[in-house]
Amino acid sequence: MGEVSLIQVSKQYAGGSAAVDAVSLTIPDHEFLVLLGPSGCGKSTLLKMIAGLEEVTNGEIYIDGKLVNYVKPGDRNVAMVFQNYALYPHMTVQENIAFPLKMTGVSKGEIATRVAQAAQALGLETLLQRRPEQLSGGQRQRVALGRAIVREPGVFLMDEPLSNLDAQLRVQTREELMRLHARLQRTTIYVTHDQIEAMTMGDRIVVMRGGVVQQVGPPQQVYDAPANTFVAAFLGSPRINLLAGALQRSGDAVHLHTGDLVLPLAGNLASLATGAASTEIALGIRPENIRVLLHAGDARPDHLVLPATVSLVEPVGSDLFISAEANSVAFTARAEPHLPVSRGDQVLLELDMRRVHLFGPDSVNLAMSRA
Amino acid sequence: MAVQIEFAELSPTLSGQTPPRRGRSLYLFAVYGILLLAVAVSMLPFLYVISSSLKDSVALFSYPPEWFPAQPTLDNYRSLLTDYPFLRWTLNSLIVATSVTLIKIVIDSMAGYAFAKMSFPGKDPLFLVVLMTLMVPFAATLIPLFIIVRDLKLTNTYLGLILPALANPIGIFMMRQFIESLPGDLENAARLDGCSDWQIFTRVILPLMRPGLVVLGVFLFMNQWTSYLWPLVIGTKQEMFTLTVGVQSLRALFSVDWGVLSAGAVLSMLPLVLVFIFLQRYFIAGSIAGALKE
Repeated sequence: MGEVSLIQVSKQYAGGSAAVDAVSLTIPDHEFLVLLGPSGCGKSTLLKMIAGLEEVTNGEIYIDGKLVNYVKPGDRNVAMVFQNYALYPHMTVQENIAFPLKMTGVSKGEIATRVAQAAQALGLETLLQRRPEQLSGGQRQRVALGRAIVREPGVFLMDEPLSNLDAQLRVQTREELMRLHARLQRTTIYVTHDQIEAMTMGDRIVVMRGGVVQQVGPPQQVYDAPANTFVAAFLGSPRINLLAGALQRSGDAVHLHTGDLVLPLAGNLASLATGAASTEIALGIRPENIRVLLHAGDARPDHLVLPATVSLVEPVGSDLFISAEANSVAFTARAEPHLPVSRGDQVLLELDMRRVHLFGPDSVNLAMSRA
Repeated sequence: MAVQIEFAELSPTLSGQTPPRRGRSLYLFAVYGILLLAVAVSMLPFLYVISSSLKDSVALFSYPPEWFPAQPTLDNYRSLLTDYPFLRWTLNSLIVATSVTLIKIVIDSMAGYAFAKMSFPGKDPLFLVVLMTLMVPFAATLIPLFIIVRDLKLTNTYLGLILPALANPIGIFMMRQFIESLPGDLENAARLDGCSDWQIFTRVILPLMRPGLVVLGVFLFMNQWTSYLWPLVIGTKQEMFTLTVGVQSLRALFSVDWGVLSAGAVLSMLPLVLVFIFLQRYFIAGSIAGALKE
């Protein structure tokens, strides 16, 4: 019904670099796939190529096994929700939702039935005679969704559909979208730069950068095992701590020298590190894997403990983000919200070394490159 | 209310630190005084023409001149309508101005859409050529244009009056600018909804262009109604005169019947006044657009 396959799909603008570079992906029917990346990473361009709004420079796009490179957008069995909703301002809500059906020659009676169904599903019944300018942002968003679902397409394409909504409405609409997907079970390709949306909504996420796919996988898996430093840094807030340094081996012991800090690497990490092509590597540890201790006695065995000075405390309600420097190397840690620390305090940072990632000189995760 | 808002925008001192009440009313008094004076100065010629059109030949030259004729008469109007083909001129002007306006709205909106939203080889150079024709003064093309139209045997015909006016590119430029300001995703949405280029144009772009089309229409109509040089050159028979040429022809070689001439001027102004009353908002936008032409 809605399987999408991309084979070595590229987009090259005249005289420019590649906006999308040899992307290959298979999106099975019913999947909710999120394209995630910073602005300019090519995710929207890729989506528009699937929609048929941008020409494909190289590669092939298949929808349900059919090559669609030269198929008109309206004939691809896809519907798109745009960031700015793109509702037709001169039409009422009803006319907006009915428009795609009208264009494809659906009979009047059926249009009325399907518009009514879509309106009911999205709670738009009372707004049908209004024009877009008379609607709030959230209502417009629902009309845009209505226009998409009324066609009953095989694939939904969504281009940052929540980014124009305020924070509260965004969470609410996010839930509605997920419920809608659960009910309609249609393949959805969703573009966002918001990692929370990606983590919460996607069956799988595709992290992109500079037109190139960095990693594909279920959100938690990508978060837990980032393929490279870019993915590691892009997912997670606050950002993962990345410490670049040089390896030093003395006897059986392996140490990472980063700034004025020397971190011992043991067991699996040590063998990973020594397997690297270069001695220049980076260590990554997420803030939630660093505990802030006030007393040395609280430290657990098998954890690395570093004395540090607190440089910044950021309470966000549910958590406390603490920036601290150990031998002038900066760490960010996530602590429980009522921890009594303030700027300048001496604390201990307890690093959970089992959750540490090592990245090689090409920034690739050593654990994954070896696998 | 609206005036107050404008003042607040114009004068930061008024909105920011409210000056003493007396200062403010003095300021308003001065502003309105100047504005009234400007209105009076610009209205005077109109009032004088209207007044002259209601005077007989004696009253016209009485000294001091009368602003309000003691014995107003409609003789000038009667003479204008019976002694001259004034109604024919009006009809000519209406036919020419309406045809030019309607045809150009169709051409300009379509060309504007093509230049704004479609991609085709040679688009940019072609648009440059269109723009360049804007820069050639009409006087420079007058004689070649006349020779062409004469050779086509179109002198003293409606086609001869209408065709050259259709080649004016200002409307294409205006429409392109207007269409470019419409969000591109509307077009994308329409494409996904199954529209062809033509359907996108007629069902999505055209309805959204309505304000721009009215501005263009008003501008074209006004321009054509007051056009003088070309109708003067191309029409040699009295029955093919437009209003502007016709009214001007009322000046005989040795004598000028100022009363009839004034009546002609008043009547030829009327349609524009009506257009203005009904479409004031667009009229002003149209005049601003006209500023591009000069």
